[in-house]
Amino acid sequence: MQRKLLFDSFTWLVWLAPFAGILAAGLTKRRDPVIEGERVLRHDVATRIEHWTHGIGTLVLLVSGIALGVWFLPALVGSGESVWTMMNVHFGAVVVFLFGTFYYGANTLLEKKRFAEHLPTKNAIEYTKRHYGLLLGMKKFTMPPEKKYFESERMAYLLALASTSVIIVTGILKVAAHAMNVPAWLMAVMTPAHDIAAIAMLAFFLAHVFFAAVLPMSWPIFRSMFTGYVDLDYAKHEHAGWLDELGFKEPDAAHAAEAGETVAPQSSDNSERKS
Amino acid sequence: MVDNNTNPAEPEVSADQKGLSRRQFLIGFGGLGVGLALGGIFGGAFLLSDEVIAIQASGGWLLVDTKKCSGCTSCMMACSLAHHGETNMSLSRIQITQDPFGKFPDDISIAQCRQCPYPSCVEACPTGAMHVDKVTGVRTVDVAKCIGCERCVNACPFTPSRALWNFEEKHSQKCDLCKDSPFWDEDGGPDGKRACEEVCSMGAIKFTRELPVQSEDGYETDLRTGTAWDTLGFGGSPKSGGALG
Repeated sequence: MQRKLLFDSFTWLVWLAPFAGILAAGLTKRRDPVIEGERVLRHDVATRIEHWTHGIGTLVLLVSGIALGVWFLPALVGSGESVWTMMNVHFGAVVVFLFGTFYYGANTLLEKKRFAEHLPTKNAIEYTKRHYGLLLGMKKFTMPPEKKYFESERMAYLLALASTSVIIVTGILKVAAHAMNVPAWLMAVMTPAHDIAAIAMLAFFLAHVFFAAVLPMSWPIFRSMFTGYVDLDYAKHEHAGWLDELGFKEPDAAHAAEAGETVAPQSSDNSERKS
Repeated sequence: MVDNNTNPAEPEVSADQKGLSRRQFLIGFGGLGVGLALGGIFGGAFLLSDEVIAIQASGGWLLVDTKKCSGCTSCMMACSLAHHGETNMSLSRIQITQDPFGKFPDDISIAQCRQCPYPSCVEACPTGAMHVDKVTGVRTVDVAKCIGCERCVNACPFTPSRALWNFEEKHSQKCDLCKDSPFWDEDGGPDGKRACEEVCSMGAIKFTRELPVQSEDGYETDLRTGTAWDTLGFGGSPKSGGALG
């Protein structure tokens, strides 16, 4: 019996995955970030599912896609058997990636604030300069009151959003070519567009892994992508603006507030904050 | 600056207010899609399978007589030259194989595409790149659609495979009866000329419009009887027909 590529025998899974993600989002009950004693809920279960399905899917797609050949770069796999294997690996990752991405997209449609918190603000350049200047040991800089996501992350998000969108649109058409007659001219546009978007995604992915998992300063956040929580002290230092949004007050200030005394508003700069 | 207090979570509009909340819509939309995808699988089982859909016959076939072949490989060079503009035997769609230990008539054989009535290469192609040309019926490759999975190469029932891997341009290719031969100043295809047939000095390759009778191993034809071969003194022309004559 003729062996078939998963892209052929299970094409329907590619159509099913986005709808399954949308349906799952509709049925998901989300939790907003909240301060719980000495820790802060940063990522609820849905966020972690979104992140890891999208992230692992992206990783496997990049590895198998690059092995199959990207744009003008030669393929790393040469023979028919290894091409089949890589295409089947690519297929599995496509299904996981589509589920995760559409799960995120539908969740975002339900709560637009989750989209807004990823978008850069007018502080993007200034905060990023101070944040990384401080990290590089420049004493004149102070830690800006970053929100839940650093301004630098918010700028990178735009690249991830654009590359993901192009990859999905072009990828869906490439899969459609397994089930219907897609015009050759369209495929001739979609294939290089898919590859170029994949290169942009690779750039984002490498930077993201380095800054979010490899750098020791990011390890608390990395852990929170498994546990959901970050320490309050960490949040005070790295995400003062976010804690402000969550209504956090230092204990003495909170006590004073309870006593009905006037509390001086916090500086928008928060340059005095220390963990 | 984004302010969550001024941009609260999207309100869950009740069904009474707007008829349908966004969450209800997404649940319905997602559920409908899941239903259609799953329903398509079960529904597809009731559709006609590809096997019962008739495939157009080729507009012609190449006949070969390996007993006439001298192994000069002119056909291979002509094929490569007509299609690719270079004499590279690895790019030829017709192949001459020689067994240095074999004796006539088993020392040389010609491997040409049979333009099969039920082409396994076309059936195996996941993208429709390997297809039957609607005008000529020739089984050929649309290189723009080829993804390089080489399924056609593996699917061809003959050895060596008549679907070949173009190692330079990274796509599969096969004999198209010279339908698309950009480096040859002649019209090819079933209604034109075939480069291999034109250059074969032994007359071992001939084009026909009549479907040859195929055995499990393909077909081979006697192109000798009635020619000067009858007088060469081989004790009579080897019999024709059958897989290897």
